[in-house]
Amino acid sequence: MSEQLLSAMRQSIVDGDLDQAEALARQALEQGIDPLVAINQGFVPGINTVGDQFGAGEMYLPELMMAAEAMKKAMAVLQPEMTRRGVKRQYLGKVVLGTVKGDIHEIGKNLVATMLSASGFDVHDLGVDVPSARFAEMAREVDADIVGVSALLTTTMTGLKHVIDALDDMRLRPRVKVIVGGAPVTRDWADEIGADGYSEDAMGAVAVAKKLVGVPSKE
Amino acid sequence: MSLTSRERVLTTLEHKEPDRVPILIGTSNTTGIKMPAYRRLKRLLGIQAEDNYIYDWPELGTAALDELTLRRLHGDARGVLDRFPEWVYRRNQARPPHTTFVDDWGSGQTEIEPGVWFPGLHPMADATTVEEIEKYPWPDMNDPSRVAHVKEAARRLAEQNQYAIIGTPWLLFPFERAFAMQGMDRFLLNLGMHRDFARALLQKIAGLCQTLMGHFLREAGDDIDIVKIGDDLGMQNTLLISPKMYRDILKPIHADYIAFIKSRTKARLFFHTDGDVFNLLDDFVEIGVDILNPIQTSAGKMANLEELKKRYGDKLTLCGAIDTHRILPFGTPDEVRREVKRVIDTLGPGGGYMVASVHTIMHDVPPENILAMVDAVEEFGNYPSRTR
Repeated sequence: MSEQLLSAMRQSIVDGDLDQAEALARQALEQGIDPLVAINQGFVPGINTVGDQFGAGEMYLPELMMAAEAMKKAMAVLQPEMTRRGVKRQYLGKVVLGTVKGDIHEIGKNLVATMLSASGFDVHDLGVDVPSARFAEMAREVDADIVGVSALLTTTMTGLKHVIDALDDMRLRPRVKVIVGGAPVTRDWADEIGADGYSEDAMGAVAVAKKLVGVPSKE
Repeated sequence: MSLTSRERVLTTLEHKEPDRVPILIGTSNTTGIKMPAYRRLKRLLGIQAEDNYIYDWPELGTAALDELTLRRLHGDARGVLDRFPEWVYRRNQARPPHTTFVDDWGSGQTEIEPGVWFPGLHPMADATTVEEIEKYPWPDMNDPSRVAHVKEAARRLAEQNQYAIIGTPWLLFPFERAFAMQGMDRFLLNLGMHRDFARALLQKIAGLCQTLMGHFLREAGDDIDIVKIGDDLGMQNTLLISPKMYRDILKPIHADYIAFIKSRTKARLFFHTDGDVFNLLDDFVEIGVDILNPIQTSAGKMANLEELKKRYGDKLTLCGAIDTHRILPFGTPDEVRREVKRVIDTLGPGGGYMVASVHTIMHDVPPENILAMVDAVEEFGNYPSRTR
């Protein structure tokens, strides 16, 4: 597979160019290129670049969201071919994600979902206002490695603890790790409620998730 | 020397030291107190007063503070708000309990738990074209019931001449209104993918905001001292959109809006914008912002109060900075007291600072902490500053 094509794939994600990303994915299929190669060597490095730029404050939400949309377009083209060939992406781990009961803030949680998914995690996003038992049920159903919980209000932060309790009740702890985040959440609070990981931002969440599943982060 | 509250605020707006640092509390939603916290506060103070909501809007959940409580909190300003058109109240009073509250724009608050309401209805979620903007049934901003009470309310406070008067027509914030219409993520994505649509939507909304603001200011005249507008532009450690995009799309709208307001009133311009907005402060100064709120100290560079005071202390009156993420809900009264002292010591010298909680005081803030905040201002906020 040509370096030129891989480079163009990467750039299409960085540019958030949905049409270009889709066209390049089709081109890869027409040339008989292994879809996994296109994903892992073409598109994923693009979203990693975007994540790094976002983390460094050089890129902002609209551009990041466009990059994620471009990624989805490319994946939608490549997925059927992967199914046909009977190949699966090697995921770093399975993550169940959501915003706690009583809270419908979702931008931060969506960012984490985007970056985890782009980084190679299999993400099951439960959305917002999610009852604690639902996190635990889903974790059991998909055999999750990690449950990620977000709260944006000081009044809903206690919900993070309830999710950990629900996982305890189903005897999923300590095998299933818990990552918490959201504007009012601090490392101290995360430690206090017995969470396994905490991050201030989406890129940090990826690093924490990788550490928890035993994948070395770059840096 | 002892000043009236109004003189105190006006002096600090001149960047001069009044007798003490002014306190803004309960003047609008931003500096407001949620009903459960207000009830506990009244109980602690032994104050008998009705549970009224601002805008008569229980779904928003913010209390309309009674005068006794406002005085006990040493509040130096009083608010004048607009109202929803009467038909919005009638329609919502007639709706089945627990169903979505729909406002005049067609966006609304959904009850996700008993008594807990969030913006959950976004009527233009799927729109991406200018045609859809043209077809949308936009609210009538000329409905007289929106501002029928404003003249009298502002006049009464002006004649009383005791408190600074802050006019806040409800959420005339173009960017946030676009979030309400589309949902935050949809609109942010459209800023990237459908730039012309996003710009047209903001311009449409800004035009409507301006129409209502014109009616509000016509009624309030020069009786008000401060007009509050804003738009949340920051997150915990960065901006929602790039400075470049802000300057291209939103700044011209804010600049027009502020110029319009300043052509109609002598009142100072109070701009509310959450999160870390440090990188836009020069822009705000340039377009005529006089008062910056809420100085979210938990967000990125806004934590650096020294730098803020040094670079912008003579250009902007700073209002807020009392943390609502940790200190007010989870701190002890003494921690609140020490934090208020720290903030006043940094932002207070020379005037140009008003104490306020960063965000609305939520259900979980103990009444003792609310009192600790305002009493610390009496204790540490007296001028001349000892730290100068």
